[in-house]
Amino acid sequence: MKSMTLAKKSKPSTKPDGETLERMLYYLRLTRESEWRIERVLYPQGKIVGGVYVGRGQEAIGVGAAMAMRAGDVTLPCHRDFSVYVIRGFSLADIFANWLACGDSPTRGRDNTLHIGDVDRGVIPIISPLGATLPVACGVGLVLKQRGRGNVVLTHFGEGTTSVGDVHEAMNLAAVWKLPVIFICNNNQYAFSTPTEKQYAVKSLAARGPANGMPGERVDGTDVVAVYDAVARARELARAGKGPSFLECVTLRMSGHSAHDAAEYVPEKLKRAWAKKDPIQRLEKILLARKILTDQQIRKLNKRVDQEIDAAIAQAEVRPLPRGEEAVEAVYCEASCWWRKPPSAVSGPSSVATGHGPRATDD
Amino acid sequence: MKALTRSQLHEIYYYLRLNRRVDEQLTLLYRQGKVVGGVYSGLGQEAISVGTAYALEKQDLIGPVIRNVGAMLIRGYRPRDLFLQYMARQDGPTNGRDANTHFGDVGRGVIAPISMLGETVPLMAGIALAAKLRRERRVALAYVGDGASSTGPFHEGLNFAAVQKLPLLIVAENNGWAYSTPISKQMAVRNMADRAQGYGMPSAIVDGNDVLAVYEATRTAAERARRGGGPALIECKTMRMKGHAEHDDARYVPKKEFEKWQKKDPILRFEKYLTAKKRMTAEEKASIETRIDQEIREDLAFAEASPFPPPEGAARSVWA
Repeated sequence: MKSMTLAKKSKPSTKPDGETLERMLYYLRLTRESEWRIERVLYPQGKIVGGVYVGRGQEAIGVGAAMAMRAGDVTLPCHRDFSVYVIRGFSLADIFANWLACGDSPTRGRDNTLHIGDVDRGVIPIISPLGATLPVACGVGLVLKQRGRGNVVLTHFGEGTTSVGDVHEAMNLAAVWKLPVIFICNNNQYAFSTPTEKQYAVKSLAARGPANGMPGERVDGTDVVAVYDAVARARELARAGKGPSFLECVTLRMSGHSAHDAAEYVPEKLKRAWAKKDPIQRLEKILLARKILTDQQIRKLNKRVDQEIDAAIAQAEVRPLPRGEEAVEAVYCEASCWWRKPPSAVSGPSSVATGHGPRATDD
Repeated sequence: MKALTRSQLHEIYYYLRLNRRVDEQLTLLYRQGKVVGGVYSGLGQEAISVGTAYALEKQDLIGPVIRNVGAMLIRGYRPRDLFLQYMARQDGPTNGRDANTHFGDVGRGVIAPISMLGETVPLMAGIALAAKLRRERRVALAYVGDGASSTGPFHEGLNFAAVQKLPLLIVAENNGWAYSTPISKQMAVRNMADRAQGYGMPSAIVDGNDVLAVYEATRTAAERARRGGGPALIECKTMRMKGHAEHDDARYVPKKEFEKWQKKDPILRFEKYLTAKKRMTAEEKASIETRIDQEIREDLAFAEASPFPPPEGAARSVWA
């Protein structure tokens, strides 16, 4: 069968400029430090309601993918894609408020972690039975295709999820109907404690692409520029009416499945090898080598990120928890449902398209 | 692979003809208003049911779907079982409770067809897992159509079988149509077999109207599975020669399609082969036909004379 890859070995078709690379570093660092605070500070302090899932080591996937989006695109991120929420315009304070289950969090204290969504910001929330979002992404893709404005939809999931039937049904439908869907698989090599050898029998999940009649490509998931480029190329195919693509972005889960999982089943040797491919270190090296940033500017960026996070947590921590009486409200979407808010005046798609944040060179 | 003996070839021919006669008889019963529910024909697809089932061994199990009557006959069911089922009589395999082919019996190695198509695949994977854990030389075979291959359970079953290296054979029966959905609207791959590479399992594509090709492919895959070589997908290309069921006139199928495939009728082709290779004389053929005539006559009479289940018994056997 003829190979249907996105020209794996060809030169990247997009070359992000210095400004874009800087923004990428900012989002990577913001994600890493925010998740550190959640997992290693707030959670042990007992301030987090529920479980904690972080995407340490896999930040390049969310950043690279979300930054390749354009105005009007939609994304369905997963629990390890913190950066996507920030890039799509959710405030850091709101995100922390959701973790802390504050009464005025995006989910009004009812659903925690990253179970956040907003149609205006083009973000469809996580569905806990993983895989269920893929057919939803196809529905979104159908709408985008019918609207004919060249928009695409991204859907994130892990390699464990690829064993779920929904994934197959969605990929098949997207291929037959040529929907503008980009299937982004974060292969972090462990689905809780299930290693890839017990998850699938192919050498690379990229094979799932041609097996469903769409291009499939294996990408270095710790290289934010490679992810950005792969998504941008897939986006172009989708925009041009050529249908969906499947991207297997390979990383290693550098944390437990959750904060309550010590993950002793992951060999130390593997962790050491992948620590060397840390996405932040790799991008910093590029920025320094290309003289886009100096050491001092990077430190300044990191300091700025810390301050931002401090401010966001401080803000979220004083927001009150929901009142007990409210517990039975908003179970059904009635007229008084808080979800039925008027069109957001806070931000529309245009303000979140390419991601904004303070640049290290700002004073 | 050992060559088939003369008597084995005749047996295959017998089952092909019997399969078709049962099918034709059911159509007649339907038109006479004697069938409860619908009739789903396997016309033109007999070589797949017969070729695959005949290639298995006694200890193997099959998970047929509704058009695989030929396979059920090879596993030991008789025409009367089909007639009794379709006419919902008390002495049928489900005592008149489930119509058409929703019946099975582990003793005969048949897992009853499941209406939610595709579900048979993970189920047969479970049987294959049991066989592997017990270290038996047993193979499980699941039949699935082109439509069913778009379902989640199909995917989950194939992936699981591949990872666990189970002795599961998946017979992908591609008859071109899932009710009124043509292949072009069902999948974006050229062949159902193209899906196998996504799971890391071998596949084969065979002419589904050539009973010996089907037999050989199944036998090869089964032997490999018995040796611990894991699962395989065998795509058999054929054509659904009638509507989805008797109540569907298939007006959406281009007439040219039927004409093209009529020329490839599996039974005519096998007859030609046997005659050309001098493996069956006219007398032997006539003898098989007579035997089938008698069998159908007797079984039909038996089934038509069988009582309906008593209404008082309706609430029985709901729970196991």
